[in-house]
Amino acid sequence: MPELDFVNVRKSYQSPTGENLLALADFSLKVDGGRFVSVVGPSGCGKTTLLRMAAGLVPWDGGEIRLDGDELTGPSPKMSMVFQAIGLMPWKSVQSNVALGIQLQAHRRKLTAEETAHVGATLAMVGLKGFEHYYPHQLSGGMQQRVGLARALVRHPEILLMDEPFGALDAQTRAVLQDELLNLWGRVKSTVLFITHDLDEAIYLSDLVVIMGRRPGRIKQVLEVKLPRPRYSYDARAEPEFAHLRSIAWQSIKEEL
Amino acid sequence: MTQSADRLTSPAKRNGKSALTVLASNHYVLTALSAIAFIALWQIVSMNVSPVILPSPGNVAAAFVELTASGELIRATGQTIWPFAIGLSVAFVIGTSLGLVLGIFRPAARILDPYIFIFWSIPNIAWLPLFIAWFGVGQLTLIIFVFVSAVFPQLLTVEAGAKEADSFLVEVARSLGGTKSEILHIVVLPAALPYIFAGLRIAVGRALVGIIVGQLLIVATGIGYMFQFYGETLSLAKYFAPLIVIAALAVALNRAVNWAEQLLIPWKSRAFT
Repeated sequence: MPELDFVNVRKSYQSPTGENLLALADFSLKVDGGRFVSVVGPSGCGKTTLLRMAAGLVPWDGGEIRLDGDELTGPSPKMSMVFQAIGLMPWKSVQSNVALGIQLQAHRRKLTAEETAHVGATLAMVGLKGFEHYYPHQLSGGMQQRVGLARALVRHPEILLMDEPFGALDAQTRAVLQDELLNLWGRVKSTVLFITHDLDEAIYLSDLVVIMGRRPGRIKQVLEVKLPRPRYSYDARAEPEFAHLRSIAWQSIKEEL
Repeated sequence: MTQSADRLTSPAKRNGKSALTVLASNHYVLTALSAIAFIALWQIVSMNVSPVILPSPGNVAAAFVELTASGELIRATGQTIWPFAIGLSVAFVIGTSLGLVLGIFRPAARILDPYIFIFWSIPNIAWLPLFIAWFGVGQLTLIIFVFVSAVFPQLLTVEAGAKEADSFLVEVARSLGGTKSEILHIVVLPAALPYIFAGLRIAVGRALVGIIVGQLLIVATGIGYMFQFYGETLSLAKYFAPLIVIAALAVALNRAVNWAEQLLIPWKSRAFT
């Protein structure tokens, strides 16, 4: 199973006034293969930076990020990222947006018949059958993020990087998509690194909840969530265990605010 | 097309409004009514002033038919359209490609932008004596004048569009493994397309001014010369004929650009239709 390993990663930013801001100091985290790991923390703790480094979008200053033991040097075809702002191309139909997941990985303009069928199957999997020829502006926010999810999944990623993917959605849509994500994850069996500021979301979805302290980002506490899966098959949020974990996590985060 | 037609007629029908209301809400009916009102107003004014000030619509129509039948108007239109089309097309191709290049490679733009801005801010007409000295009195000078009139608005508008390509979408494409040329093709070019059309709209207007001024002052042919000749001889009814040709050309070109834009940019949600 693929695993993602942060080893003593260090990252600093130049502030607008010229100061050196340390975003992450000797950050180490091992995301074991096949697990669903969430990272929560106060805003500015470097959790998004963490994900963007793993996606190969920003360089880091020291330490290593390893994917299956190999050092990461840029965007890896084994990983897909899902963004809070989604980032669909407004000029491409739903189908063409999802096809980009394959095209940009393979550096080809045209898909094979088999790949086109796979794009259709992936869209059906996220519940968008019949919307292939819509443009993004014709879809609701929740449906747009389903397209974002399909674009990530169509590549058969070993690791799914998710940066607050449901943060901009209304509460009902978010709950529905959380359940669907769990369902999809049960089927595709990839490793997930999930960033959120929503504790309930982190506990509900994850095997491990990593709580980060304020800048410079470091791991404060790691909680293991042992609620049985599939969690959408019963009211997992109503379990005493859920409330217990939530209270521990909230105490921990409150100290950092 | 069907969508807008539905919007125009069906709500009225649903609400049981009169046929007159439905008719009045129809775009074509409104256009025809306003044209009739305009010509009527023109007729009334022309009956109360000297024909040297404003000829009547009937006289203008007669002059138009006469100039068309004699071949003068058609010949002049031909002499006008070719240099116009060549100058505008070259300006469109060069303005668009250079605009894209400068929008993407900002170091090159930082060097070239001041020169472009200086050339653009000099009134076109000031170039004419120089162009005549360099290229002589002829079609080439005319085409170059049209080109210079149209190329700068095209270039500057496209450059502004390419420069503004969404950095987040570029990042998304990078995260999916896109190379620089793929990102150019998938993110930058489509984002610049509305600007290419916006530039073209301005360029068409500038090129029309360029061709008329050029024919007036350089070659003494075509529509531009007809303006001069019939204006100076106070044959106002005939003066209106080339005016109608130019107005029709401008409207047709604007329609063509709109049509091409609708066809090539189907993804845009339009706030006002």
